[in-house]
Amino acid sequence: MSRYAMLIDETRCTGCRACQVACKQWNDLPGEQTRNRGTYTNPPALSAKTWSMIEFNEIETGDKVGFYFLKRGCMHCEHPACASVCLVGALHKTPDGPVVYDDSKCIGCRYCMSACPFGIPTFDWDRGLLNNALIRKCEFCVDRVSNGLIPACAKSCPSRVIAFGEREQLIAQAEARIEKNPNKYIKHIYGKDEVGGTSMLYLSSVPFDQLGLPALGTTPVTALSEQVMEYTVPFALAWGATLAGVAAVVRFRNRGKRIVENEKSET
Amino acid sequence: MTNDWVDLKNADVIFIIGANPASNHPASFSWINDTREHGAKLIVVDPAYTRSAATADVYAPIRPGTDIVFLGALINYAIQNKLYHEEYIKAYTNALTLISPDFKGPADLDGLFSGFDAEKKSYDTTTWKYQSEKVKDAAGNDISVPKQAVALDEPNTVFSILKKHYARYTPALVERICGTPQEKFLQVAKIFCATGAADKSGTILYAMGQTQHTVGTQNVRIMAMLQLLLGNIGIPGGGVNALRGESNVQGSTDFALLYQDLPGYLGAPTDRHPDFKTFAAKFDTTSYWINGPRFVVNLLKAWYGDAAKPENNYAYDYLPKTSGNYSWIPLFQAMGAGKIKGLFCMGMNPAVSGPNSRMERQSLANLDWLVVMDLFETETASFWRAPGTDPKNIQTEVFLLPALDAMEKVGSIVTSGRRIQWRPRVSAGPGEAQTDIWILDRLAQAIKKIYHGSPETRDLPIRDLTWFYGEGTDPDPEIVAREINGYALDDVKDASGAVILAKGALLPAFATIASAANYDAIACGNWLYAGYFAPADDGRGIWRPAARRRGQKDPGNLGLFPYWGFTWPANRHILYNRASARPDGSPWVENKKLIWWDAAQKKWTGYDVPDFVATKAPDAKAVIGGAGLAAQTGTDAFLMKADGKGWLFAPTGLSEGPLPEHYEPIESPVTNCLSGCNTNPVVKIWATNQDKPIGDKLGLCEQFPVICTTFRLGEHWQAGAMSRTLPWLAEIQPELFVMLGKDLAAARGITNGARAKIISARGEISAVAIVTARMKPLVIDGKQVHMVRIPWHWGWAGLATGDCVNDLTHHVGDANTMIPEYKAFLVDVRKT
Repeated sequence: MSRYAMLIDETRCTGCRACQVACKQWNDLPGEQTRNRGTYTNPPALSAKTWSMIEFNEIETGDKVGFYFLKRGCMHCEHPACASVCLVGALHKTPDGPVVYDDSKCIGCRYCMSACPFGIPTFDWDRGLLNNALIRKCEFCVDRVSNGLIPACAKSCPSRVIAFGEREQLIAQAEARIEKNPNKYIKHIYGKDEVGGTSMLYLSSVPFDQLGLPALGTTPVTALSEQVMEYTVPFALAWGATLAGVAAVVRFRNRGKRIVENEKSET
Repeated sequence: MTNDWVDLKNADVIFIIGANPASNHPASFSWINDTREHGAKLIVVDPAYTRSAATADVYAPIRPGTDIVFLGALINYAIQNKLYHEEYIKAYTNALTLISPDFKGPADLDGLFSGFDAEKKSYDTTTWKYQSEKVKDAAGNDISVPKQAVALDEPNTVFSILKKHYARYTPALVERICGTPQEKFLQVAKIFCATGAADKSGTILYAMGQTQHTVGTQNVRIMAMLQLLLGNIGIPGGGVNALRGESNVQGSTDFALLYQDLPGYLGAPTDRHPDFKTFAAKFDTTSYWINGPRFVVNLLKAWYGDAAKPENNYAYDYLPKTSGNYSWIPLFQAMGAGKIKGLFCMGMNPAVSGPNSRMERQSLANLDWLVVMDLFETETASFWRAPGTDPKNIQTEVFLLPALDAMEKVGSIVTSGRRIQWRPRVSAGPGEAQTDIWILDRLAQAIKKIYHGSPETRDLPIRDLTWFYGEGTDPDPEIVAREINGYALDDVKDASGAVILAKGALLPAFATIASAANYDAIACGNWLYAGYFAPADDGRGIWRPAARRRGQKDPGNLGLFPYWGFTWPANRHILYNRASARPDGSPWVENKKLIWWDAAQKKWTGYDVPDFVATKAPDAKAVIGGAGLAAQTGTDAFLMKADGKGWLFAPTGLSEGPLPEHYEPIESPVTNCLSGCNTNPVVKIWATNQDKPIGDKLGLCEQFPVICTTFRLGEHWQAGAMSRTLPWLAEIQPELFVMLGKDLAAARGITNGARAKIISARGEISAVAIVTARMKPLVIDGKQVHMVRIPWHWGWAGLATGDCVNDLTHHVGDANTMIPEYKAFLVDVRKT
């Protein structure tokens, strides 16, 4: 079990988005060109430039309308699927809790994106596939946490929605809150057991799927991905051979052209 | 705020009406959330299902501009169900005071009060006055004092007038006028009026949703009355709390940002006060205001130094005497008429924020010169190239002086809770940007140079103005702070001749002014701030200028934090806190005890600074004919009032009557169901250029059937210059939008995310439509009425651009303050 976690009590959230802006500020992320699409949610989704955001959900039930705010970002799973599918070990879970990423190792295969049950990692499409493209996601402010500071989003939250601390203590705190206000909370701590547990823990007064969090089992996704990964080596070898073949053909066909170009440049 | 932000944690019920703090004051929700975790309830009354409403226990919809009906019905509910705090109102309010038998109210006069002059559109207030009786003072002279009844229900008592007046405000009327379903209203009434119990407290939070109406002042009055009735003023977790729209707007108001005041709410001299004597006579002599003339003298000493002498009435003649209304709308009317030739705009962006802003931009074009001091080139600085404007037709010379941001300069900031905090500079500014005081210092010195040696008497106010804020090029904010705080120009002595403040020392509190024999030896720029920069203990034995303190001790655990900064007045955190104790001086309830009478020590003690004389026993009698607070008893909790009482009925001070009465907004889809008096009878209607494309036009419901209310977002800041230029904020709210309900959208063929046109009698704008279930039509007097809601932060400058929403609003303001009616006007919405 990882040491640190964040308890996000959505019943306290007002959707002010201080966390979203603080994340950009600390991580030096640029603003995106956006437009109003008939909702407050903006940018439209997580991206290489937006690692944490508030999603606004308006849900009508009969006469009643609900307006819900979800802080969306990496869940920092106890058994991160992204890390388990990563061919080169660019992603890994630290004992403190953050699932971190090493730019220098990444080859841009984007397996992590397909593997994540929450759809979190994003690809830096602006750089393009062959231009040292990178995966981007929340890294739990590992640079702050490892230096004794709390994550930027938790620090900025004016209504104290986000609590940072030891995971076990936060779970106890969440249980105490549910016990104290049983009519207010759904009797469930989202993230305590989902996909084997995550470092992001959520409390809510409405069902979590209404809030926008998927209903997932307690089995770690890695259990499945590890089975799949058995086929990685044979698959990679076969794929590598195919690519090598294609490359050889292309090179052969381009040979003539290059000679012509060289001749042109000489004249 | 009568209370403070942190004090919200002491409330049992939080009632938000005319504000959206979840979005616009999110920090407040840390305290609101805390108290709710202990069982407190949150009520939100708003035209839209806002972010605040989304978190509330009870949400009730309301039609914009009908708050008096809703709040009046709460008063009625509290009276009918005897939920008012009887002991409190008898002791601390004017409920028992008798009003002139000639007084008649709207129930008798079809919406008007007695004394109305239809021609002048104003009231003669003679019949609103207290009955008085003669009593003998110690010397045997007759002294008039307000006559009191014994029982609340006696004829002509304030209470019986109040009861009769609001008996008309029934839950059925709320449904008919506000569109709030009766059961929703009753749910709110039951929860909130339960705070009339002695051991409960309820707070009301409001913002521009209450003030920006033609009845804005009366909206605020009625909240205060409801709180007095429920015994919620002066106690922890209670109060009437204005959530200010700018981080330092409280400070600017304290310093007479508005034309009708001198710093510290001393009032500005008018043509009715030609000399100091008449001006001094306007202050009550049976309240703390007896010191008002002293505070004026201290102010004049701060401004004119040695030139302010007893012989020349302390240079009172140097002050301009106003002869009319100099508020926003008349100023822009005067610019439009060519009477005002030049304008300084400091941190103001009227091209976006002014009512009927298209017309106001036209007024700017009438100026010879315009100086804009701001962080960015605002719409005001670039008004000459506004969309649809040909710069060739504009001759105004525009100067843009780059200013520094709050984080880039040293100085103080005052929160809504009146807490003054001194802040350091944390970042260097860009380029040639300068602090406001640097710019003003240069300007003042240049002006003084021009007038130096002038033989004209009329130039004396400039020549004699003291102006020294430091050596070198940069003025020192601490010298400004010292002048505001006040200091002794000479040894200050009390009546016995003892020195109470040595020459040169900083004034520790305004009490020193009150007890000084030679009070004119004190210069003080704002009496309310006396002591804010004087050395004070931060709770750890470290002394530093009070506003600089960051002590975190919280005696009583009520969230007062008295060692953090300095809260005016006198570091007092909850105003009128005498009322936090029973008339006998004991706390109403143990867990909310704030101050109490210590019989052994013969003084008041507790966690807050008492809002009255600390040694005055609860059973102290008033001295008949006594001066100032001597004329008040030990239970007179409202020391700034001539009778020491909280006013459930206001015999003076308000233009449209002593009790708030419902009138429709100037533009309304319905006529007043309550009386034959449709709109506020004393409001001034401007009628400039009604025949021109841009003018003061009013729309009719036939042409403009939809109610529009403007609002603000947490993501943007006021007229937008500071936020629409920031990529991180521009990306989260990139475009101007209009929120409309699904029925209206369907009727007009508007789809979510498409663009829509919004048209009023003044102008037309385009915005992205957010079609939402959070906006619902209301049934008003049997008729379905639609509403739209538009945030007004946009303009053509910056990264996130959009039309100016105030092109739609009109030049109509409240009858007392002239605050424009931004919150309720008529439009139509169309597909583009």
